[in-house]
Amino acid sequence: MGGGVLKRLTFFMDPTVATLLAISVILFTLFLIIPLITVAIEPVLPGPGGYVYTPLDVFKDPTMVRLSSSRQPVIIRTINYGGKPTTLVVIVGPNYGAILNTLLNSAVVTVAASIFGLIVAFVMARYDFPGKTFFRVLAMVPLLMTPFINAFVIRKIFSYDGIISYILHNVLHLPILIHIDYLAGVMVAQTMTFWPIVYLNVYASMMQIDPSLEEQAENLGARGFRLFRTVTLPLSLPGLAAGAAVVYIFSMEDLGAPIVFREFNMMSYRIFSGLQAAITGTIPPYVSSLALILLAFALAIFLAIKKYVSLRQYAMLSRGGRWVPRVRRLGVKGLLAIYLLLLPALLFCASPQFGVFVFAFCERWVGTFPQGFTLKYFGEMIHNPILFTAIRNSLMYSGVALLIIVILGVSTAYIVARAKLPGIGVLDAIATSPIAIPGLAIATGYFLLFSSRIFKNTPLDPISSGPWLLLILAYAIRRSPFTTRAVFAGLQQTHEAFEEAAMNLGASRARTLRTIVLPLIGLSILSGALISFVYSMAETSVSVTLGGINRAQAPITYAMYDLLYSGYVYGPNLVAVMAVFLISIQITIIVVTNIVLKQRYAFIGV
Amino acid sequence: MVNVILKGVTKRFGRVVAVDNVSFKAEHGELFTLLGPSGCGKTTTLRIIAGFELPDEGKVFFDDVDVTLKKPYERETAMVFQNYALWPHMTVFDNIAYGLKIRKLPKEEIRRRVEWVLELVGLKGLENRYPHQLSGGQQQRVALARALVVEPKVLLMDEPLSNLDAKLRLRMREEIKRIQKELGITTIYVTHDQEEAMSLSDRVAVMNAGKVLQIGTPKEVYMRPRNLFVATFIGRSTLLSGRVEAVSGGRAVVIVEGSVRIKGRVAEGYKVSPGDPAVAIMRPEDFSLEPPKTEYNVLEGTVEMTMFIGLFNRVGIKLGSQSFKAYIDRDVDLRPGDRVRVYISTEDVVIFPRRGWEEVEFEAVA
Repeated sequence: MGGGVLKRLTFFMDPTVATLLAISVILFTLFLIIPLITVAIEPVLPGPGGYVYTPLDVFKDPTMVRLSSSRQPVIIRTINYGGKPTTLVVIVGPNYGAILNTLLNSAVVTVAASIFGLIVAFVMARYDFPGKTFFRVLAMVPLLMTPFINAFVIRKIFSYDGIISYILHNVLHLPILIHIDYLAGVMVAQTMTFWPIVYLNVYASMMQIDPSLEEQAENLGARGFRLFRTVTLPLSLPGLAAGAAVVYIFSMEDLGAPIVFREFNMMSYRIFSGLQAAITGTIPPYVSSLALILLAFALAIFLAIKKYVSLRQYAMLSRGGRWVPRVRRLGVKGLLAIYLLLLPALLFCASPQFGVFVFAFCERWVGTFPQGFTLKYFGEMIHNPILFTAIRNSLMYSGVALLIIVILGVSTAYIVARAKLPGIGVLDAIATSPIAIPGLAIATGYFLLFSSRIFKNTPLDPISSGPWLLLILAYAIRRSPFTTRAVFAGLQQTHEAFEEAAMNLGASRARTLRTIVLPLIGLSILSGALISFVYSMAETSVSVTLGGINRAQAPITYAMYDLLYSGYVYGPNLVAVMAVFLISIQITIIVVTNIVLKQRYAFIGV
Repeated sequence: MVNVILKGVTKRFGRVVAVDNVSFKAEHGELFTLLGPSGCGKTTTLRIIAGFELPDEGKVFFDDVDVTLKKPYERETAMVFQNYALWPHMTVFDNIAYGLKIRKLPKEEIRRRVEWVLELVGLKGLENRYPHQLSGGQQQRVALARALVVEPKVLLMDEPLSNLDAKLRLRMREEIKRIQKELGITTIYVTHDQEEAMSLSDRVAVMNAGKVLQIGTPKEVYMRPRNLFVATFIGRSTLLSGRVEAVSGGRAVVIVEGSVRIKGRVAEGYKVSPGDPAVAIMRPEDFSLEPPKTEYNVLEGTVEMTMFIGLFNRVGIKLGSQSFKAYIDRDVDLRPGDRVRVYISTEDVVIFPRRGWEEVEFEAVA
């Protein structure tokens, strides 16, 4: 068998395959695998004083794991508000330490987002009603990229002087005020933000169900909920599993909501703050252990659902619809439910993004309602040195990352799709894994590895050279699956015979790649690259953790975090302006890929 | 122009043996066809010759040069793909000129040869069209032209006519035969259509389940099948089974159904003895209605069904517990339930020993 493998290798290997393979293997090894191995071995290396702080020690730390909550989840007080005794309900959620809080939060958010996403997907996939297009657009709004500021708006909405309390107290005249904060706030904010990921995946699954399968079940007498339970739901499971898994990961590694809701007892926040401390002093011993645990949790969920979906589907889902889908009109009761329940729910989930626009265009927003209209904050994009530098940096980093992504994505996808090399499945899995790997684990790995003695004073060393190169590389690795998958899909849709015909006529592989493959899949490459670019611009976890090492090199998302928490009065307005800038790029690219390039992808990244 | 020689070629995909110890030699200038049902390994064999697949065992030679490990672009074969694989982003001219550009021919020479080949396949004047602007038949010709223009050592054709409608297929068949003879290129042709194989080929290799079962001229495999599969796959056939009564001089008599006796040639390479179970393979077109005075090969039965197929009626006849098919002149008015008596010549019957029930399933093919 060994001889057979060697024979295969020599038969399918040529200079082009070798080059592409080398590009792929070297980049992933240096900037994904080795950093992650660093995270894994750091905990067992002796720290200062020879003490080894292992992941087991993390579990003994009461700030990480505690079996009874250190605080009351709901506090009810009677206060004097506007001269009247009023009940103030403060919902903060429990505190079981960073690790359990993170698990509890991800579980709650995943379940809540899955239920809501499933309901919306079913309604959208199977019913027709006036205004459906508006509903569909509305459902996508939470996916617009508004790092930090969307959670900021949600916190404002649920504050004791926010809209919800205002409605209860001043409109409905109830003697009650509601304030949501800490872990409870994180749960609400993440559910509102992440549910469309489930919706899009389930919707795609449902549109791919052959209508005759449901018709056959109906024909045999199944209807209503039974039809849904026995046929529609099981066939949508791949979408549900994929969507839920992505929500679980995003929820675990999200930094925005914990920072905004001041929930510092979460793994993501502890890793973040630990790395911040490391920039100026020494790295707290628990950081790499936490990053390792976070990584393990993320990978565990993917292994758990592997039965339903292969990893590659996460990066990109075709919106399906090979046949005329089964849609039917709704009766009066159904229409009432859609307009009186679903519409307000969708509007509510989209409200943070609307709030971001309000913040961008209002003079100030203190208390319940915003005050004044202005465009002056948009002028700051050019005149304010923090904003201007951050935007310029992000455009530069994402642009360079894009080049790397295209080379890496085309190399990897081509090798995986076309070169019949033994063991190529491993490369495929590695190339897709950045979807599942928390950015904070990568940030930790980069920091540990590249600030170590080996890389001292090289451009990779974040302490001496600043984080610019690491940010570019992190963007390239983390966002490459979007392009790799798009190129892979392009190759799958292009019959291999086109390439075989060229090689058969004497064209070398390099020439075949240049004259046949690239012209045929150009659009796939372009659309994948555009998506990668958008999500590089909005990358948060690595940007925020490493971006602060040298402020002059900080990217957009770091500046947004910084402006929001540096105590600057107009901070939220400026952050909102930057979010509007990001949203405009995102919408432009969605329009370009879907309408101009006619590439139909559902977006799932945040 | 070369001989193409395969020696003991085996290719497995996982547990499936796609090509099983295949050996043959396609002679210089010959049109050699691999014929078999879908999944029999014929396309895989072709792809091994082209260099797209690596055989697990065995070797491929062009004359005495071992090309087994050579890359596709080092082999100087030219393939016509089943789906034509015309590059959609190139014009007809650019598609055809592609191989010539790789061979770094001067521009003028390229133009001249593209013109020549377009004339050969009857497509002059379509140089600037794109593939999607062509009909299926025209695309097929472009694919053929693209392969021929580079003057390959070996021409490989993978079901080239399967995407054409029936009429066009007949015309292209003649074209291909004419062009192949004109240029004298060694050609390996893959098809599942036995009629196509019969009419085109110099020699045919009949394949099933990865194995080559018989190699011979179309007439040889039709008239002298070496194998029950070949007998039933090539042409239409019908069979009756029974027990051998007597054997002499390469002839055997088989008793089917009571006193009905069929006499025929024992298949080449087989031996039968009295008492053995056996099957008699017959071509439905070989039956006639006027039996001579003979004790053998007169079959009388009840009409089960008739089906009009042009020149003949295809008639299902029940003989005891078995049935068989015969083509009978369309002017003879037969209806289900009628008694009918048909005759077949001893020369037109091939007797095979019957080894097991699985062989009888070939009836489905017939």
